[in-house]
Amino acid sequence: MNYFTAIFQTISTLITGMSVTFKHMLKIRKGNVTLQYPVERWPRPERDIGFSSDSYNVIRSRLTVDMDDCIGCLKCERACPVDCIKIETHKVEKGEDIVEANHTGVTSNGTTKRLLLTRFDIDMSECCYCNLCTYPCPEECIFMVGGPNSTRHEIDYEFSEYDRNDMIYRFSKVPPDILQSYAEKK
Amino acid sequence: MVDFYINLFSSIELIKSYQSSIFIISVLLAGIPIFGFMAVNALVAVYVERKVSAFMQDRLGPMGHGVGLHAGKWGVLQTLADAIKLLTKEDIIPESADKKLFLLAPCIIFIGSFVAFAGFPFNEFLIAADFNLGLFYILAMSSVGVIGIILAGYSSNNKWSLYGSMRSAAQIVSYEIPAALSLLPIVMLSGSLAFKDIVLAQTGSTLGILPNWFIFNNPFMIIAFWLFFIAGVAEVNRTPFDLPEAESELVAGWMTEYSGMRWAFFFLAEYANMFIVAGVATIGFLGGWLSPIPGYFDGSIWGVFWLVSKTSFLIFVMMWFRWTFPRLRTDQLMRMCWKFFLPGSFFVIIGVGLWDLIMR
Repeated sequence: MNYFTAIFQTISTLITGMSVTFKHMLKIRKGNVTLQYPVERWPRPERDIGFSSDSYNVIRSRLTVDMDDCIGCLKCERACPVDCIKIETHKVEKGEDIVEANHTGVTSNGTTKRLLLTRFDIDMSECCYCNLCTYPCPEECIFMVGGPNSTRHEIDYEFSEYDRNDMIYRFSKVPPDILQSYAEKK
Repeated sequence: MVDFYINLFSSIELIKSYQSSIFIISVLLAGIPIFGFMAVNALVAVYVERKVSAFMQDRLGPMGHGVGLHAGKWGVLQTLADAIKLLTKEDIIPESADKKLFLLAPCIIFIGSFVAFAGFPFNEFLIAADFNLGLFYILAMSSVGVIGIILAGYSSNNKWSLYGSMRSAAQIVSYEIPAALSLLPIVMLSGSLAFKDIVLAQTGSTLGILPNWFIFNNPFMIIAFWLFFIAGVAEVNRTPFDLPEAESELVAGWMTEYSGMRWAFFFLAEYANMFIVAGVATIGFLGGWLSPIPGYFDGSIWGVFWLVSKTSFLIFVMMWFRWTFPRLRTDQLMRMCWKFFLPGSFFVIIGVGLWDLIMR
């Protein structure tokens, strides 16, 4: 009677399997594992780094430049191992404020600036977060924000953008029409 | 419907004399709604299939949350977007393919399921071509598609395609037999091959409360229903019998080389075949367009509603099968057909015959 027991076993095991999938289908509201990413986000991982994660950002940092202090020495551009910093400068009158180009003549350390920064781009999609650009900076104007050194931000740990070009952070504050006139002078 | 249109146009004095053009126009008028129904059926069924599969695997399936372009609430526009994508995709024909057969194969597969729909009744009157061999006709036409599958596999000049189409030929030819044999009890009980007579033989109620459907007629009919339904699932190449496509072994089987519009035709035909198999099971065993509460909610519109909802339930069961069971091996498939389904269907025929002889 091996033939009939095989039929019976087949049918009973098939019914068991189907009941399992049907139960999962009915409990989808409770058992769902998908997160609707841009709307829902993963909870922040809890990790002991010596700080309390309630008041510090524990995950990622990113580069920021204080353009009022930058003198355009290109040391950070040379230090970058992946060449993700692009700087273009233009020679201007020493120590002069150019209001329409958001240019200040003297840094907060008292150094007079000789160069107007017409371009200061950091491509964060290439950045490897090595921090090597921050050490040579004589004015200490390029630095990492986020992490334990800055105030806590709620969701901005993934730094994701909808467009790839938005990953290039443009720090130069020269308006485009002024930039055009400087390009013509060259 | 074709007869209705021919009578309608023939009664108009002005165009009475153009008999041949009247015929062509009538056929077109009956055929275009079928095409529309097939397209809508595929759109809805693909969406439901993705949702059902997702829910069974604890996922959400297509969803439309977020900023920017998205697929509507709960992703309802997802299949529409997919259809537009398929229509605008590049149509690639492999260099070493047999070009004429390669172009012909999707047409044959599509025509196979389209022509089968012509004999499929949605209620007592809503049928494109009403004739007294409906059941036999649909059984014959639903296996025309295998020619297209073999052609697609052969003409692609690709080992995956050829393997897939060879498997498909073996599978469909084998499973035609239990499918047809397990429909014989219906013909024995109703004494007709026409869908109308088969459904009308199931009116009334049995045992007081149950509707007088053939599946409740006697215990053997329950076996016959499942034999036909599983053989039908095998015939439309769905998991667990999807050896011809077998994406984990054969890339996509006989569809490997197809893309864009031609691939969309395969998909349309697959979901139309699902509807036909589920529909034949509904008409033969589950009372067709009759309401589940005998004597209530019967009528033309209710008839379409009951038929489509019963058929949709069977299609859901097919999806349930697909997302539960693993694929069979070729020898297991053949063994199941010839050693279990064929004796089973003979057993059912004899059993139903004896039951009918003794109980009536």
